[in-house]
Amino acid sequence: MQRVALGFLLLLAGLVLMSSAYVVPEWEQVVITRFGKPVGQPITTPGLKFRTPFIDKVRRFDKRFLEWDGKVTEIPTKEKRNILVDTYARWRITDPLEFLESLRDYSSALSRLDGILNGETRDAVARHDLAELIRTTDREPAQDESQHQDETTTLESISLGRETIRQELLANAKKQIASQGWGIELLDVQFKRINYVEDVRESVFARMIAERQRIADRFRSEGEGEASRIRGDKERELKEIQSEAYRQAQEIVGTADAEATRIYAEAYNRSKDSREFYEFLKTMESYRDTVDKDTWMVLSTDSDFYRFMVESDF
Amino acid sequence: MSQQDPFGNQVNIPRLEPPSVSPNVILYVVALIAVLALLGTSIYQVEPDEVGVVLRFGAYVTSTPPGLHAKLPFGIDQVETIEVRRQKTAEFGFRSQQTGQFASRAFADESNMLTGDLNAAVVEWVVQYRIEDPVSFLFKVRNGTDTFRDMSEAVMREVVGDRTVNEVLTVGRQEVAAVVKVQLQRLSDLYEIGIRVDQVVLQDVTPPPSVKPAFNEVNEAEQVKSRLISEAQAEYNQVIPKSRGQAQQTILAAEGYATDRINRAKGEAARFTSVYDQYRQAPEVTRKRIYLETMREVLPEIGRKVVVDDDIRGLLPLLDLGGNRAPGGQ
Repeated sequence: MQRVALGFLLLLAGLVLMSSAYVVPEWEQVVITRFGKPVGQPITTPGLKFRTPFIDKVRRFDKRFLEWDGKVTEIPTKEKRNILVDTYARWRITDPLEFLESLRDYSSALSRLDGILNGETRDAVARHDLAELIRTTDREPAQDESQHQDETTTLESISLGRETIRQELLANAKKQIASQGWGIELLDVQFKRINYVEDVRESVFARMIAERQRIADRFRSEGEGEASRIRGDKERELKEIQSEAYRQAQEIVGTADAEATRIYAEAYNRSKDSREFYEFLKTMESYRDTVDKDTWMVLSTDSDFYRFMVESDF
Repeated sequence: MSQQDPFGNQVNIPRLEPPSVSPNVILYVVALIAVLALLGTSIYQVEPDEVGVVLRFGAYVTSTPPGLHAKLPFGIDQVETIEVRRQKTAEFGFRSQQTGQFASRAFADESNMLTGDLNAAVVEWVVQYRIEDPVSFLFKVRNGTDTFRDMSEAVMREVVGDRTVNEVLTVGRQEVAAVVKVQLQRLSDLYEIGIRVDQVVLQDVTPPPSVKPAFNEVNEAEQVKSRLISEAQAEYNQVIPKSRGQAQQTILAAEGYATDRINRAKGEAARFTSVYDQYRQAPEVTRKRIYLETMREVLPEIGRKVVVDDDIRGLLPLLDLGGNRAPGGQ
């Protein structure tokens, strides 16, 4: 009988112990509530803890950086261009007591964050041009060799840039959250995605296509221009070479002809006598060359050749 | 005890009793179960590329290397093993294994982005990373892997948004990957996510599908330009050297003519001079001789000869050119 009572007592003690002990893991922080009201300070160090059994309730809160994902929304920029903006943020519960008292649970925290973050995002986008939201710095873009010098390959200059705007957005949101006394802090907010709205996309693509076609046309006309320049060179050089050769040849021939004439003159023209003799010789030669079988000739016996036929005294 | 069966016969039914077990055996069995439970919950294994994170009553105590280890039993110590040495890959804009048509829409959302010149590009990339600090990864950030993906997308878009579409498609690819790696690491450190970014690699980077043909057209036009130029060059190279050769030929021919002409002139002049010198020594005789020699050669060649005497009158100067021999004189 004693044994049973002892056993029963031990069991009871064990039960009491078990219901008063609880574990706080590394990633959680805990607030103890009694009859609906929080008791004591929040417990943020991990380990084995004890509470008043049955009366105290353990309310657990994640200690880690938690997600917030903004829905993709269509927002107009300063130049009235509508863009699709998708943001995300990371936040955490720094004071679980405050959190419990003001926000109670995650879903209400998320919807409060929706209000602040969506509002700040909308403000940030509406107050700036699209280029300011996409670009970060005023850097010089690297050039591709195929690009022309006067082609717009520079990026338009910006004054603030994406990072500056984002930091402003973050600072404003942080301030708003801190002033609410919700026991949470915002770690970071980022533009995850920014895109054109569907109908704007089409006109952007059309612009890109037109730009590419312009470049393609330029290449083709450059090719044609260069080709005709080369052909023109070819023609010109050809003419040059041919005319130069002709000139030189003519000069050589002319010089040679002149020289030949001089040689002849020197030989034939040295005196009246030589001129006459030359004429005589040449005439004799031409007799040889100009007669043939079909030539008719009427000769007189008075000629030097035939006179001996009728003369007797010589 | 004896009883009666339905037929009224006496039956002896043996008394059924639970087997008698001594209290000691029960104790031993319970002890055995306890020992087994102890062993089962106090040993764990850490794989070669893992680290064991040990929590005692939820609080972090130590990290254990690969191998077999002991821990406090009965759930006092909980161990989470996490891969740290193995490099993980996060893919964006595509997945290595095709998961189906509906999934490719989600990938397009990951890869469509705006460039600095407000054009659009489709960027696929991978991030290779390792969990360097498992304690941070597990306990500082909830859903570390998803968070890392969000961070990667944001950083890539920031970097691409600062560059022209040309840079992203061609010359700037390496630079973009390098800058993304640095900025992503910086953000990881800010979030205390415990990740080491090893490498960022751009995969397929293309213009949006509907614009792609126009981009290809540019490449083709570049090739057309090359082709037109080299065709013209080829023509030039064919024609000019040939014409130079012909020019040479023309000049050489002229030179040949010149030489020929002068030599001929010299020769003829020399011949004339020697004949003339001879002539001068005996002019009359030489003239006569040359004349007669010429006539000797020439007259036989003449097919039709008529020799008439001036004194003969009455002969009709009729010339029959019909081919017969002329009527002779009287």
